Parts: sequence; C-alpha cells; structure tokens
Amino acid sequence: MGTGSELAFWLLAVLIVGSALAVVVLRDVFRAALFLVLCFFAVAGIYIILSADFLAAVQVLIYVGAIAVLIIFAIMLTREAQRGSPSNRLQIPVLIVGLLLLAVIVAVVVDTSWPAADVPPPAPTTGDIAEKLFDKNEGFVLPFEIASVLLLAAMIGAIVLVRERKEE
Amino acid sequence: MMELKTEPVVINMGPQHPSTHGVFRMRVTFDGEVIVDMEPVFGYLHRGIEKLAEERTYTQVIPLTDRLDYVASMTNNHAYVLAVERLAGITVPERAEYLRVIMDEMMRISSHLLAVGFLLNDMGAFFTPLMYMFREREKLLDLFEMVCGQRLTYNYMRIGGLSHDIPPEFLPALNRFVQEMPHFIDEYDQLLAENEILLARTKGVGVLSRELAINASASGPVLRASGVSWDIRKADPYSVYDRFKFQVPIGTAGDIYDRYWVRIQEMRHSVRILEQAIKGLPSGEVMAKVPPLLRPPQGEAYAHIESPRGELGFYVVSDNSIAPYRLHIRAPTFINLTTLRDLVIGWKLADAVAVFGSIDIVLGEVDR
Amino acid sequence: MNGWDWIHWLIFVVVILGFALSMIIVFIWTERKVIGRFQLRRGPNRVGPMGVLQAFADFIKVLTKEDIVPAKADRWVHLLAPIVAFVPALLVLAVVPFRDGSILADLNIGILYVVAIGALGVVGIFMAGWGSNNKYSLISAMRTAAQVVSYEVPVVLSIVGVILITGSLSMVTIVHEQQVPFILLQPLGFLIFFLGTTAEINRSPFDLLEAESEIVAGFHIEYSGMKFALFYLGEYAHAVAASAVITTLFLSGWKGPVLPPVLWFLIKVGFVFWLFLWMRSTLPRLRVDQLMGFAWKFLLPLALFNVFLTGAEVLLWEEKMASWGNFPWPFLFLNLALAGGLIVLWSKFFRLGGGRVEV
Repeated sequence: MGTGSELAFWLLAVLIVGSALAVVVLRDVFRAALFLVLCFFAVAGIYIILSADFLAAVQVLIYVGAIAVLIIFAIMLTREAQRGSPSNRLQIPVLIVGLLLLAVIVAVVVDTSWPAADVPPPAPTTGDIAEKLFDKNEGFVLPFEIASVLLLAAMIGAIVLVRERKEE
Repeated sequence: MMELKTEPVVINMGPQHPSTHGVFRMRVTFDGEVIVDMEPVFGYLHRGIEKLAEERTYTQVIPLTDRLDYVASMTNNHAYVLAVERLAGITVPERAEYLRVIMDEMMRISSHLLAVGFLLNDMGAFFTPLMYMFREREKLLDLFEMVCGQRLTYNYMRIGGLSHDIPPEFLPALNRFVQEMPHFIDEYDQLLAENEILLARTKGVGVLSRELAINASASGPVLRASGVSWDIRKADPYSVYDRFKFQVPIGTAGDIYDRYWVRIQEMRHSVRILEQAIKGLPSGEVMAKVPPLLRPPQGEAYAHIESPRGELGFYVVSDNSIAPYRLHIRAPTFINLTTLRDLVIGWKLADAVAVFGSIDIVLGEVDR
Repeated sequence: MNGWDWIHWLIFVVVILGFALSMIIVFIWTERKVIGRFQLRRGPNRVGPMGVLQAFADFIKVLTKEDIVPAKADRWVHLLAPIVAFVPALLVLAVVPFRDGSILADLNIGILYVVAIGALGVVGIFMAGWGSNNKYSLISAMRTAAQVVSYEVPVVLSIVGVILITGSLSMVTIVHEQQVPFILLQPLGFLIFFLGTTAEINRSPFDLLEAESEIVAGFHIEYSGMKFALFYLGEYAHAVAASAVITTLFLSGWKGPVLPPVLWFLIKVGFVFWLFLWMRSTLPRLRVDQLMGFAWKFLLPLALFNVFLTGAEVLLWEEKMASWGNFPWPFLFLNLALAGGLIVLWSKFFRLGGGRVEV
C-alpha cells in the first residue's frame, strides 16, 4: 500500500464516518439522505482502493442509483419531511445498543490479526467473481436463483398491494 | 385493505404560465399527477370594452372590437358592424359582402392554424408544428397587410361596408394562396394525423359529451367535435354565405383529437369557400351611403356570426344618440371555457394543458 | 503509479475537459441551427458568421443575470445541485475511447462505470427539485425519480447483449470486437439503449421533467445566472456523453475507412446527437403514465427477449464459428428481422389514448 492510497484511505474513512454521523444527527431528513448518498459513494471509493473495481461500480449503481433514490423519493412523498426527524424516548436505549455494537466491532477489529497477501490483486475482477458465483461445481447458482425468485415474489407482492381495484 | 392516506396539492397554473395562452389562471388541486379539482380564474385582461363602447361613436367602436379576439380580429369587426347595420337598417353592397366573406374565411384559416399549432406546442412538440403553421399564416397576414395595412388589428370593416376596396394585386395573391393551401393542409395531415404520440395523447382524452356540450352552450369547433352539426353559416346564414357550397365537418367522439381534426377539415372547406367567393366576386361599390355620424333609431339588435371559435354575438342597444347605449358581446371562447373543469377532472396535468389548448381560447375575448 | 502515468492523466483530463466544453458549445450551436432548419427558420445568424458565437452570447447574458435564491429554499442544497448534476456527465467521458489508446482510463469495468456514474446525475436534479422549494420543481423531481429508475432497467439489459457478444466490459475491447457496428448485430439493443438514454438524459419526447408547457421549467425553475448556466451546460454535457457512449457501444467507436479515427468518432457522435435533435423537433411529449408504460411494458420485455436471444446466439456461434468464416452472418439478418417484427407486433398491444382516473 503506497502513501497515496493510504492518504486516500484516511480521507475516505473520515468522509464515511463524518457523513454517517451526519445522517444520524441532522434533523433535516432530506439533507440526511444526501449525506447517505455521500457515505455510499465514499464506501465505493474504499472498494476502489482495495482493487475491487467491480464491487465499487455495483455499489454506486445499486446504492446510489437505486436505494438512495428510492429513499429520497419516499422523503419527497412525506409531508412531515419539513418538520425533521422527531426524537422519542427510545433515544437512550438505542444509544446503549449502539455503543455495545461499536464495542464488539472494535474488539473484533483489534483482536484479529490482519494477514496481507503476497499476491497482487487480480486485475479484472469481474470474470473471477462470475466464476466463483456461477461455477458448475462450487458455485452458488441455486442460492442465486432462489434469491432472484424471492425478489420477484416481493416485487409482484408490492404491485398487488398498491394496485387499484376496479370497482364492479 | 389498508387505506393509504394522501394529501392533495394545490398549484396555481398561471397567470404567468407558458401554456395558459395569455393570462388565464387555473387553480388546480392535484392528487399526485391526477387533477381532482380545478377552478378557472380569469379577468386579468379585463379592459372594460363593453363599457368603453358606450363612450364612443358607432364607428369608433370598431377598433375596440379588434382587441377582443385578436387572433381573428376581422370576424369581430364583422359581427359588430352586422349588429349595427341590422339596428340602422343599412343594406351593404354586394361586393362588400363578398369581401367580408373572403376576409372571414381567411381569418378562420389563420386562426385555426394557430390553434392547431399551439395545441401541438402544448403537447410538447417543440415549436415545429407551430412554425409550419406560421409559414401559411404569414402569407395570410401579408394578404391582410395588402388590404388594410395592418397585420393584427385590422379595423377594416365599416358600418355599411368596408373602409376601402381591395388593391388590384390582392386577388392574384389570394388565388395563389388558395391554389397551394390544400397541399399544405395535406402536409399537416401527413405529419400529424398518424403520429403515434399525438394519437396517444389525444384519442379519448378530454371527452366532451354531446349533452354537456349543448347544455354548456358551447359552440364552434368544440361543439362540432362532439357531434353536433351547428354552424351559424348554415343554421342562420348571414352575409352571402347561403350562396356558397361547403360542408360542416363534425366529429364523433368529442375528444381532443376530434377537435383537432374538425379544425383541420374546416380549413379545407374555408379554402373551398374562398375559391367560390373569388369566382363570384362582383364589381361595384364597397360602401353604402351611411351618414358620417350615425344615429341609429331607438331599439336593439343582435347579430351573431360563426367566428373561428364559435358563435360570436353582438347585442347593441341604441337610444338614438351617436354612441351605443349598451353593447354586449357573446364571447364564444368564454362560454366554451366553462366546460374546462368537467373536461380535466380525473385527467393528468399534461392532459389539462392539452385539453385547454384544444378549446382554443383567446384571453382578449374571454376577459373583454 | 509512475511519472508517465501522471502525465497521461494530466493530459487526458485537459483533453477531456477541452473536448467536453468545445463539444458543448458546438452542440448548442448545432442544436439551434438544426432545429431552426427543422422548423423552417434560419436559426441564430446575428452573432458571428452563421451565428457561431451564439453560445458565447448566451453565456455572457446568463452570467450577467442576478443570482436568485428563493427565500424559503434550502440554501446549500440549492447551491450544490447544479454542480452535482453537471459533474457526472464529464466523468462518463473518462472511459470513452476517442481512438485506439486515446482514453483517460481503460477501466475493465468501463461500461458498468458508465451506467453507475450515469445514475448520479439524478441526485443533482433531486437536490434542485427539493432545494428550490417550488411545487413545479418538486413535481419535476418526482417525475425524474420515476423516470430514471424505470429506464435504467431496460438500458442496462440492452447493454447486456453487447457484453455477451464481446465478453468484456471494457470500452476499448468492445470497440475492437466490432467487426461490423453492433447496431447491425444488436438492432433491438440499440433501439432500447437509444430510447432509454434519451429518457435518462431527459430529451424530448421524454423531457417530462422540464416540460415547458406543463411544469414550466421543472427542476431549474428557480435557478438563474451561473447556476442555471451550469444546468444548461449539463444538459448538453449529458447529450455529449450519451452520444459518445452510444457511438462506442453500437456504432463501432473510432473505426471507419479512409478518414482518421478521431474524425470518425466525432462524425458518429454528431450523427447520434442529430438523431436526438430529430426526435426533439418532431415528436410531441408523452404523458407521465404513458412514459412509464413504455418503459415497463414495451422496452423491458423486448430487452429481456434480446438478452435471451443474444445468449442463445453466442452459445450457438461458438460451435459454428469455423463454418461461418468467423462472423455470425445468419444472426445479423435474423436479429434485424426479429427486431422489426417484434417492434411492430408488440406495439399492437398498446391502446392509444385514454387514461382517465375516477376521482
């Protein structure tokens, strides 16, 4: 890891943590959603540093292009968005749970020894990912298909729920 | 089933909106993109023309009528002078009558060109149809300029005839126009009538039922598109319209497409009337003997004509003075506009604009 | 990363910026001139010879306008929106090869990068729509959301056909693999991609988000001065980027006989842009529900069919490669015929007009 990528890592790390905090803290829901976009984008940057370019592109495509857009869409449909995110009495329990989770993650991160591979990262990752995913013997074709069927079912379910019934 | 609660949004469309054709305002209540309520607001262009007329001599009112339906101002002149002539019992020379018919039909073509062009523009065709329509309208305006030196507010007709005869170069130029116009109308048909997007946007959209059209007292192409054959030129012929052979195109469905189609067809028949009028144009005077300061006998008169937008009527009351005691204008687009609310409810924002364009109003006439 | 790499990057960043900005200016002029011709007008002809300086005149005019921020607007969001909307268009050009080897970065995920970056522009439009605190711009933002999410699906699926044939996501490889332009091998894919891109860069007849006659100017209704100029430039930058991507994917990029490659590339980009202009100057706008129906009921099934067909053909081709002289001639004609037939047949399913909702 050169100094350039190290610098980039720290910049991105600060950006991710900062924007993630902003998502939680900001009262303006729309701005919070925008910071979420920034957060997703910075995570994609981390992937690029890790030479996982395919993953980075997919991260931007799915999280920024689809999920964030849907969140913003939902916010725009809500009239209460102007009032900001209200707080309730679960604030303190949530804080405790959050801190606990943080403690666990920090403990794991500190405890793990991080081995660095000697092999340089494979250049085009796309083909390798595809082979891992769809290999005839060790692939995950069946889980993949099941997941797609599940998503399809969810989609049809959503359409059925919101569909207008024609009155006879 | 869970009820999803939604809240309507109120949007003011206009008076400064690119497709409200002037300063009309629609106060629209939306549920998403669907219109649940619409309240038309007009009067932004009110100049009190009916009241102003009471302060002017009968001849001085003619330029005021130009400012009503400024897209077809000559027809306003015609309707007004017709009413006054009826009141004063003046017979107009035959040549003047023929020329009035020629002017009316030219006016109808030029007005329908604008109507169709702007309808397409409202549906999002980026000015191209409008510019094609302008190409022919420009020729018509040149002809008008030849006749009376004006391109928008003509002030050409006079009580008892016309302000002056046509110049000698007018008829050949009009002949040329009449020769080539059918081809241009064919071209519009070719470009527009089977355009998939146009059909998708207009067929079955904004349907004005026959009953509603009659009950609302709609007139002109809006009424005829709904399948009612009512044209003052046929139903109560004025001027010399009873001497010409022409048909009144009527629609069937009463949707935007039919209103568009009726206008296109009317242009064809107007061209036919023009042809016949040029052939039959007699020579002679264009002005009857009318005293310079007209004092019509006490009484009242109503005259209506088929303006490009419908039944345009002038009601004049005289108290034997030099100015009308009362002038009232039956503005066709004002009455056609009353159907707008029924036409747009349940449709989407984009349809409202198209429906509004297909009714083809001119604010100068609506607000007077 | 060594010194040469840095120089390469520096040069190409400058080249791409120069290319993008000069193309934007050329495109603005072309659009005005070409649409003028379509509309029986002359187009701009006062500023400079044949009006070539019109874009600069516009720019100076826009710069001297007062910069307005609406009273209740979300100030920062309002301010940042034009930038967020403009930048992705430039980013896309980073992976477009101008000729063999002339490319900022030959990413091996090139086309995926294009799609991913293309999805970013919508965030800027959202910010403008929300930050302006105007109902028209909010409606426009909602329309954009629906439109972009819907049209991205058929667009990505239509690219899959190209990827299946070339077996690579890299833009340079895609151009190299095109013995004939892919528009011939993938006519359906080209049409879907072209129409979908038209919708994504919001050009007529899919320009619902700024529908002049309905919601006045849509998302940029409250913008003036430099911020408006950035949106205006952004629209053309997106058009440049989209034309360049279509050229690379379906019109065999820089390839062509006689003329130098860069010139071929520019000619093709200009041609694609001319197609956009042709559509803009002749077609009325679709309604919002028809727009969505077109994406989901027309483009999506055809795109799925195209993926299936291309997959089958690629498998078959591998077996028969030798006997067909290294090129799948039968598929070329089969695909062209199928594309024509399917489009005609599928369009029969659509009922024109109507669409009233009981309220």
